[in-house]
Amino acid sequence: MSYLQIKNLHARTGDIEILKGVNLEINKGEVHALMGPNGSGKSTLSSVIMGHPDYEVTEGDILLNGESILEMDPDERALAGLFLCFQYPVAIPGVSISNFMKKAVDARHPEGKAPAGPFLKEMRENMEYLDMDKAFANRGLNEGFSGGEKKRMEILQMMMFKPSIAIMDETDSGLDIDALQVVAKGVNKMRGPDLGLLVITHYERILTYINPQFLHILMEGKIVMSGGPELVKTLEEKGYDWVREQIAVTA
Amino acid sequence: MPTLNLPLTETPSLLGGFDENLLEQSRKGEHALLQAKRTAAFESYSQIPNPDRFHEEYRRMDPALFQIAKFSPMQIPEAAATYKALAEDTNYDVVISVSSEGIAVEDCNGVLTDGNLVVMPLDQAAREHSTLLEQSLGAGMVPGEQRKFLDLNGAFWNVGFFIYAKKGVDLKGGILIRYHNDQADTVLLPRLVVVAESLTRFAIAEQFTSPDNVKTLCISGRELLLDAAADVKLVSLQDWGNEGLHIGEDWARVKRDAKVNLFSMTVGGKVSKMTVGCDVCEPNANAYLGGMFFADRDQHFDQKTLQFHSSADTYSNMLYKGAVKDNGYSVYQGIIRALKNCVGVDSYQTNNNLVLDPTARADSLPGLIIDADELACSHGATFGNIDQEQLYYLRSRGIPEGEARRMLVMGFFDEVIDRIPFENMQDHLHAVIERKFGV
Repeated sequence: MSYLQIKNLHARTGDIEILKGVNLEINKGEVHALMGPNGSGKSTLSSVIMGHPDYEVTEGDILLNGESILEMDPDERALAGLFLCFQYPVAIPGVSISNFMKKAVDARHPEGKAPAGPFLKEMRENMEYLDMDKAFANRGLNEGFSGGEKKRMEILQMMMFKPSIAIMDETDSGLDIDALQVVAKGVNKMRGPDLGLLVITHYERILTYINPQFLHILMEGKIVMSGGPELVKTLEEKGYDWVREQIAVTA
Repeated sequence: MPTLNLPLTETPSLLGGFDENLLEQSRKGEHALLQAKRTAAFESYSQIPNPDRFHEEYRRMDPALFQIAKFSPMQIPEAAATYKALAEDTNYDVVISVSSEGIAVEDCNGVLTDGNLVVMPLDQAAREHSTLLEQSLGAGMVPGEQRKFLDLNGAFWNVGFFIYAKKGVDLKGGILIRYHNDQADTVLLPRLVVVAESLTRFAIAEQFTSPDNVKTLCISGRELLLDAAADVKLVSLQDWGNEGLHIGEDWARVKRDAKVNLFSMTVGGKVSKMTVGCDVCEPNANAYLGGMFFADRDQHFDQKTLQFHSSADTYSNMLYKGAVKDNGYSVYQGIIRALKNCVGVDSYQTNNNLVLDPTARADSLPGLIIDADELACSHGATFGNIDQEQLYYLRSRGIPEGEARRMLVMGFFDEVIDRIPFENMQDHLHAVIERKFGV
């Protein structure tokens, strides 16, 4: 049994059905990539897994460690071990990064309050690792951040919260090579037997830095093709039209 | 004294018991300087038409709500009271407390001994600093503005202080004036005159409290005169009990290279009307107006700001943040005024409102009156409940809903609260927000 199981997942926002039967299994220690053209439902899938209130699951199930999470609130899902790296993290002026990180780490602590010393030390070390200025900790969350700064902030959180399953929603979009390398550095540090990773991307370039073991292609709300690392290369050469031809042949 | 030729109004020109008799009582036994000032203020007060609901400024705040005729002056004994230290007083160099027990002035850190900083009641200042008081009492207001309640305070104030910093005074802790009124159906009329010579830096806080279920009124008047390169911060905390009524007028005149910070924090009381004005009157003068208000349980809070630019190359920035819930009602009105030929003015006016439930209401009326070219003035107002995307983001990080909402409300206000120079007041405001927010 895989740690994260997505079974025949149908979801809609308003009257529009976006996911039309997604099946996907991710185990700890595995790195999966999910690719697909614009509008195929990639970001919706990440929102539905995290529990965004704008989306409604109409059919199917999502199991984490064998238990359905559909009835859980986003904060409960996070505490159960899920993490979403947002494509567009929202800015929250007035809420400082240090305050925010402390509250989120406290929520994970068995006594509800993490000791300040070790917390600050770990945060400082992780920020150094991601080439982030210490002074950042006093700034409002994502307030006035560049694209690269926002994504580093997301990776910093992933490093601090230590999820079992992390979903990276187009983390590479809008990044220059320097920022992309730092992001990949953080992700690769996290890789290991305790983390299952789903890397959602529009382009294959982040996959140059993060080598996935599995690739899935999402089209029109369904996973239409899955494969190993060789599929990344094939897709790069032949494009989504080739995928469409292949589906037509099998259908 | 020449009388001003103002149009007659149908409404009577005196409010409640604030008449010649009370003026005579207030003047009794006083220094001639103070008597003359009271008389002048009374003349002006009695000729300014009474505010009523037909005045634009009072359309959303009926002056009748203050039931002014019902209140008689609060009795403050003349004998000095014993100073009772509170834990929070360690934040301040000088603490003044005014209550039914009298007035206590405590110089906690010996900052008054060398005479470079003067903090004393107005009657003592009339004897010891008469020339300066003559020039400053009543001089803080923007020329040409008519303020009925400021003049009322000028004629009838029943407690007042004079703060005077000589050139170069740089105070670390600050000055706290604590007002507590526990006398039912009484009106407190505090006056504050602040004179900051050049290159001075200090902060003042005024805090107003009363017990719950005790009907009180306060009509406060303050003026701050900042000379070149002075840096003065004033925090006014309206934290009355549930039956407190408050009218406050703050006016600051800011000269070359000086900077004033005027904070108005309204969290307590039943009905409140605060007006904060600044006149940045010489080049490089700078004013920051910060405000917060949180009206719940039928509270009605009205705030007005006036950023008056009477010189070229002057700056002002205003940020007022309010929240309303449980039938609370808040009003913000503001004007940026730039006079003719005042080029190079840079001025902002921002009012953000959190409307936390549909029973509450927030009105915002920002405005500009610009008679000059080549300047930058902008204003804006926002309304809304807690941002759902922000809430989702925090929750997706494992923070429970209640805590996430609390963080967002705190963060909303912290943009202003973080700039207050007194940590104990920041803590106090956080506690009040927490209580009102109800988590």
